[in-house]
Amino acid sequence: MATTTSAVSAFPSPFSIETPAGCEGWEEMYPYYSVFDERRRDTDENRFWFWNSMHFPFPMPAFDVLCIDAPYQAVGAWQNRVFAVPPAMGIDYRIVNGYVYISGNPVTDPAKIAERAEFFQARAGHYYANWTELYGKWQQKMQDLIAELGALSVPALPEYEDDEVAFGTERNTAFYELLTAYGRALRLGDMMWQNHFEFLLLGYGAYGAFAEFCKTHMPDIPDQHIAQMVAGIDVLLFKPDAELRRLARLALDTGVDMAFASGRTPAEVDAELEQSEAGRSWLAELEKVKDPWFNMATGDGLYHYYRSWLDDPRIPYASIGGHIDGMRAGTSVERPTAELARERERLAQEYGALLDDGTRQAFNDLLGLSRTVFPYVEEHKFYCDYWFLTSWWNKIREFGELLKLNGFLADAEDVFQLTRHEVATALDELVLTWATGGVALGPKHWPPIVEERKRRLEQMATWTPPPALGVTPEAITDPMTVMLWGVTTERVREWAGQQEGGMVLNGAAASPGVAEGIARVIASTDEISEVRDGEILVCGSTSPAWAPIFPKIRATVTDVGGVMSHAAIVAREYKLPAVVGTGRATSAIRTGQLIRVDGSAGVVTLLEP
Amino acid sequence: MVRPGSSPCWSPDRAGVVSITANAEYLRALSDLGGTDEPSFGGKSAALGELLGAGVRVPPGFALGRDAFTLARREGGMPAVVRAQIASAYAALEEETGLLAPPVAVRSSAVGEDSTTATFAGQQETVLWVCGVDPICEAVQVCWDSLYSVEAVTYREHMGDSREPAMGVAIQLMVDAAVSGVLFTCNPVSGDRSMVAINASWGLGLAVVGGEVTPDDYLVSKVTRELVREQIGAKAVEYVPDPGGPGVVLQDVPAERAAARCLDSEALMALLGIARAAERHFGSTQDVEWAIARTGSPPENVFVLQSRPVTTVTQPAPAVPVSALSIVMAKFGVVDKSSEQE
Repeated sequence: MATTTSAVSAFPSPFSIETPAGCEGWEEMYPYYSVFDERRRDTDENRFWFWNSMHFPFPMPAFDVLCIDAPYQAVGAWQNRVFAVPPAMGIDYRIVNGYVYISGNPVTDPAKIAERAEFFQARAGHYYANWTELYGKWQQKMQDLIAELGALSVPALPEYEDDEVAFGTERNTAFYELLTAYGRALRLGDMMWQNHFEFLLLGYGAYGAFAEFCKTHMPDIPDQHIAQMVAGIDVLLFKPDAELRRLARLALDTGVDMAFASGRTPAEVDAELEQSEAGRSWLAELEKVKDPWFNMATGDGLYHYYRSWLDDPRIPYASIGGHIDGMRAGTSVERPTAELARERERLAQEYGALLDDGTRQAFNDLLGLSRTVFPYVEEHKFYCDYWFLTSWWNKIREFGELLKLNGFLADAEDVFQLTRHEVATALDELVLTWATGGVALGPKHWPPIVEERKRRLEQMATWTPPPALGVTPEAITDPMTVMLWGVTTERVREWAGQQEGGMVLNGAAASPGVAEGIARVIASTDEISEVRDGEILVCGSTSPAWAPIFPKIRATVTDVGGVMSHAAIVAREYKLPAVVGTGRATSAIRTGQLIRVDGSAGVVTLLEP
Repeated sequence: MVRPGSSPCWSPDRAGVVSITANAEYLRALSDLGGTDEPSFGGKSAALGELLGAGVRVPPGFALGRDAFTLARREGGMPAVVRAQIASAYAALEEETGLLAPPVAVRSSAVGEDSTTATFAGQQETVLWVCGVDPICEAVQVCWDSLYSVEAVTYREHMGDSREPAMGVAIQLMVDAAVSGVLFTCNPVSGDRSMVAINASWGLGLAVVGGEVTPDDYLVSKVTRELVREQIGAKAVEYVPDPGGPGVVLQDVPAERAAARCLDSEALMALLGIARAAERHFGSTQDVEWAIARTGSPPENVFVLQSRPVTTVTQPAPAVPVSALSIVMAKFGVVDKSSEQE
């Protein structure tokens, strides 16, 4: 990271962090290169590392480490080797007690920076000039990738191979097919991450440049106004909820709405719908909507436990029920797209009018470019993080099923407690013993390891990582650190000065207004139904799927997310105050506590102990 | 409204907007003044006339021109003709408001070609809560004398202004203010013109202007009307009309009220409306003194006491003509060689 350092650091040395009781030996579940190692102490101790709580708020299960490796491989490849961003190479990561710390690698040699600028201008220029066309190809690429993942089958291990193997010409045995399928599944994951980052830096960069321009010329402009001017109106991410509204309307129109009586499970709703002709045709309509719109995630994150609506239909069903209630009551649950579009233009017009002619030209051009790149910024989450990733975890679960079937795991879900390389090893032994007919050691070997790691993960979840490690930088000059994580010089100072505990949480001002109320801390999707009218929702993060509970709540606070996060977008639509990215709201606040959310200032105050 | 033991005060909800016809040789009704009267009546009176013309609520009153000052200098005191015209205009105010000897504010109104860029430091004498013709004449004399104060003379020297000094005076009905303060139609700290910055405190505006309290500090977006930021100040004192007679007194504010927010969202919206109207009317960022009367409710009881161009605003970044793409490139650390050489 391009930082200059001060002599004494406010942050602990990465080599001084103690292992919490019960977490001893945690290093064994992570790659050898992912830990702070004495052999690399000279360099690692003299860098600034910050906890990437935005992407990795929880301790990493062993398999999920792929979602650290692949993204940093991909982001570095694009940033450092393709676009050659002048002052910044890639980002290194290290794991401490299960949590991920990161640090950028700066380019400091002026000659090198100048050399890289030549590459960057030509290559980034090409992307900006041809953005819409290139992004169209990208969408196709992602759909093809998702289709290939869907078609990838995990072969069974039969007692006798098919005749085809004996008599046909395409004769691969199951041992080869299974290892190939697993290898391919991993490669598809890598491919998604590669695609994920192709446009990301440039997309965020254009948006960031516009935001910075606005703040230079109108220093007090709230972040959310900038986002409002740029954000799309008719974006992919809102489609799933729009489809749910359509289904709710259809249920009302065809008289099957009573099936969605509150308290019913999706299976009970389906059972009633199956009883009638109208119900069956409604279900048929639902099937059409599922692909692709039920590939939404029930949470917003990179962990295997974030499932899709397909896996857990409680959210879309509850949402349909909510829309039906709203339509019956005549309270509009429509997204006010026309009003949003008008407001978006009005803001752009009024802010533009405050500038002089030359500045206004740059403002309008930057706004235009930001709007061009923004579909990617908003939509890549649907394609990559939701659609692909939830399908991909399910594909890995299929390998878990196979390992469970053969006694290597007690539960298919346990596959995520092994590293991706250990899964490969386990599959190696599985196909070996399948082939030889010998006795597998796996059933004795893996289950105790899985149990120990599950226990340890629970312990690690109770530890609070310090925000940063290593030397305190005098200034953060790495554009990527600022752009993607919002880690600025001021932020680092705040961290340095922060006393642990405290009655105030700081985050991003995501949706304006101030609200006081009783907190409802929601740890997982399962608890959504517990939210009561007038409460303040406190959660790790939300996905658009949570929209139906927004009319009930008074404000929202999240651990993770920026002003473009879903909680923020939805809160602005419902005109609810929101503070996002507080880092620790769900651990610092408890259900029932009186809190104040200042969505204009980005501050959450705990009003009672 | 009659405060026990004090002079009766003009109450806007009872009297509505008062206008007087009081034009004479040395004196004009504020409502009859406009921007072109600045050379004769001074910036403050002209601006108040402009605001009245633009439909902004300003307490009614009248103004003395610079000729009155010139005549007074020649005669070595308040000329009888000027006194008579003040008396007649004041009588018109009494008639309009139905009040006997209503309290007024007497304020200097500086004259000068550079009144949009200069602050006229030391020439801003104001006498509050003046009742009756003789006290008004004395207050006018105080304003006139301020032109020869040490600060004023030094200031004119500093500005290289060697012209013969002159001054107008504005005489306006007092607003018995529950809350008053100053607003800027931009953020004076950052220079952001999308914001209105409002400072407010209890009582008459003296406490805010004089820096005797830490006022509430509000920042409101002109574009979305949102309250973007607020900081509630410690408003430990307030100026109120002297219960024993004319003039004002400083009194302590109980701790709980001192720390309480003194503007609600309706008042903020009324002030935002005033800020936008004043800025639109004058075509430049304005520094506005305002007061909210104890009776009535916003926006009817919110008054502008004066509006002048902002002279000390920070300019946000200077306008440099650069392409959008080069701004984006700079975000990635690409240094624009052409701008580097400049």
